[in-house]
Amino acid sequence: MTPNTQHPTPNTREERELLTVNMGPQHPSTHGVLRLELKLDGEVVVHCRPVIGYLHTGIEKTFEAKTYIQGVVLTDRMDYLNPLGNNLAYALSLEKLLQCDIPPRATVLRVLLAELTRIASHLMFVGSMALDLGASSPFLYVWREREKILDFFERMSGVRMMTSFIRPGGLVRDLDADLIADISTFVDAMPAYIDSYEGLLTGNPIFKERTAGVGVLSAQDALDLGVTGPTLRASCTALDLRKTNPYCGYEQYEFAVPTGTVGDCYDRYLVRIAEMRESVRICRQALDRLPGGSVRTEDRKVMPPPREELAKSMEAVIHHFKLWTEGIKPPAGEAYVGVESPRGELGFYIVSDGSGRPIRVHERAPSFANLQALPKLTEGGAVADVVACIASLDPIMGEVDR
Amino acid sequence: MAVSAETLQSAFEAGEVTSPADGIPTVRVPLSAFTDAVDKIRFELDHPRFVDLTAVDRLTREDRFELVYLFYSMSQHTWLRLKTRTDSESPSITPSITGANWYEREVFDLFGVKFSGHPDLTRIMMPNDWQGYPLRRTEPLGAEPVDFTVTQSVYGTG
Repeated sequence: MTPNTQHPTPNTREERELLTVNMGPQHPSTHGVLRLELKLDGEVVVHCRPVIGYLHTGIEKTFEAKTYIQGVVLTDRMDYLNPLGNNLAYALSLEKLLQCDIPPRATVLRVLLAELTRIASHLMFVGSMALDLGASSPFLYVWREREKILDFFERMSGVRMMTSFIRPGGLVRDLDADLIADISTFVDAMPAYIDSYEGLLTGNPIFKERTAGVGVLSAQDALDLGVTGPTLRASCTALDLRKTNPYCGYEQYEFAVPTGTVGDCYDRYLVRIAEMRESVRICRQALDRLPGGSVRTEDRKVMPPPREELAKSMEAVIHHFKLWTEGIKPPAGEAYVGVESPRGELGFYIVSDGSGRPIRVHERAPSFANLQALPKLTEGGAVADVVACIASLDPIMGEVDR
Repeated sequence: MAVSAETLQSAFEAGEVTSPADGIPTVRVPLSAFTDAVDKIRFELDHPRFVDLTAVDRLTREDRFELVYLFYSMSQHTWLRLKTRTDSESPSITPSITGANWYEREVFDLFGVKFSGHPDLTRIMMPNDWQGYPLRRTEPLGAEPVDFTVTQSVYGTG
């Protein structure tokens, strides 16, 4: 065959026309409303630009119009897979500002709840990542266990997801003995469940084919881009705020910080599976050491008095009234406490002027920084791998857009 | 061990060193000394990891926007906070710290602070044709009526 000289086949990327494709914001595997502007050269992604903001609800603005206690409710809605972790981060920052001490039982229960939420969140990650790559059955299995954890949350707070259970000054109420016993049974059974997910995915040749060597992120790139959490740890950097900057007494618990070796999608999956096992260990230790006593601080300027006191004490009535009309009044100042959420470094930067409402509440959202790494992961790879890369970052658009 | 107030004060002669309730050493530098201060914090004081950037609108003050940067030391495991004040413009740190890209876009979008030298300073949260900067304290907390059938009698559209 003689070559067509009138229309020669373009050989360089500049000669070929790049195809621009909009992925999302309603694509089912984009985890909420994330839009990607992809420039494709055939099957290869040349340029990737994430476009966010579709879920922007102005939460940081809303904070300024609410009292500090009302603000707790907003934190649930930021990272909706880690509501208790967000409550915890907000409560810790505010308690730093108030210089308020928490009873030991509340601290241990906070650790227990934060780790249960981490397990629930990572379960969702495993399920949705498998689903994005075409394996639909793991989703059903992880949902079974996640449902159990959500049932625990419902039993303690009345709500399955938006719990608002960890408040400044402690917890809303104590967990009863039945619930603690059921959580204990669940924690003992969990390692076997994790084995079964691993049986479905870890050695699965199709799953490995889709994830191993895909979306490699080097440690230096990860640090430059502000990536934290399991995504950073998969790139062989052992940074876990529970170890390096312990809060809630995490230094008293024994757990390892799993890290990856390559920094690809498969490593990010393995790190999260290993983290679930460590979380189970922490839950076990928390249950074993659970002390008695109150779960609410005695500081009546932070936590309202118990109901039965209201019938007897005038002072209690005044405290109650002041707290629900004017709210907590922290001294003027600012505070930031970084905690390790299932997605990375989460912190609330709270600025107070001494009144009942904050001047500014800013969330350092881990997904926001992690999502910045997406072009680095996808550019140069195949368009079919984009979905694996998004899934492996585990972004929650609720906290990206706020 | 966190960087002590003395070390911080000697490193930044023009800076104002404070120690807020959360124990994170904080230094405020004038805008002219800001770029040097970032380099000093990242390399001399060994806090290379950029963590966070946000702004606080102090409406009644001159130079109303306080930019608050947070850095983290990978060897000492401590945070360090850097502040600077501006009215409208500030040098961008994105050319040296790629991770600051979206953070600067966010502050630009919500507060209207321009970062000179930023490679792609566009709105990130709000639509491109949005007027105003929502997180400024001059912007009212508002709501937009949503056109559902049930709300037509209330808002009277359509």
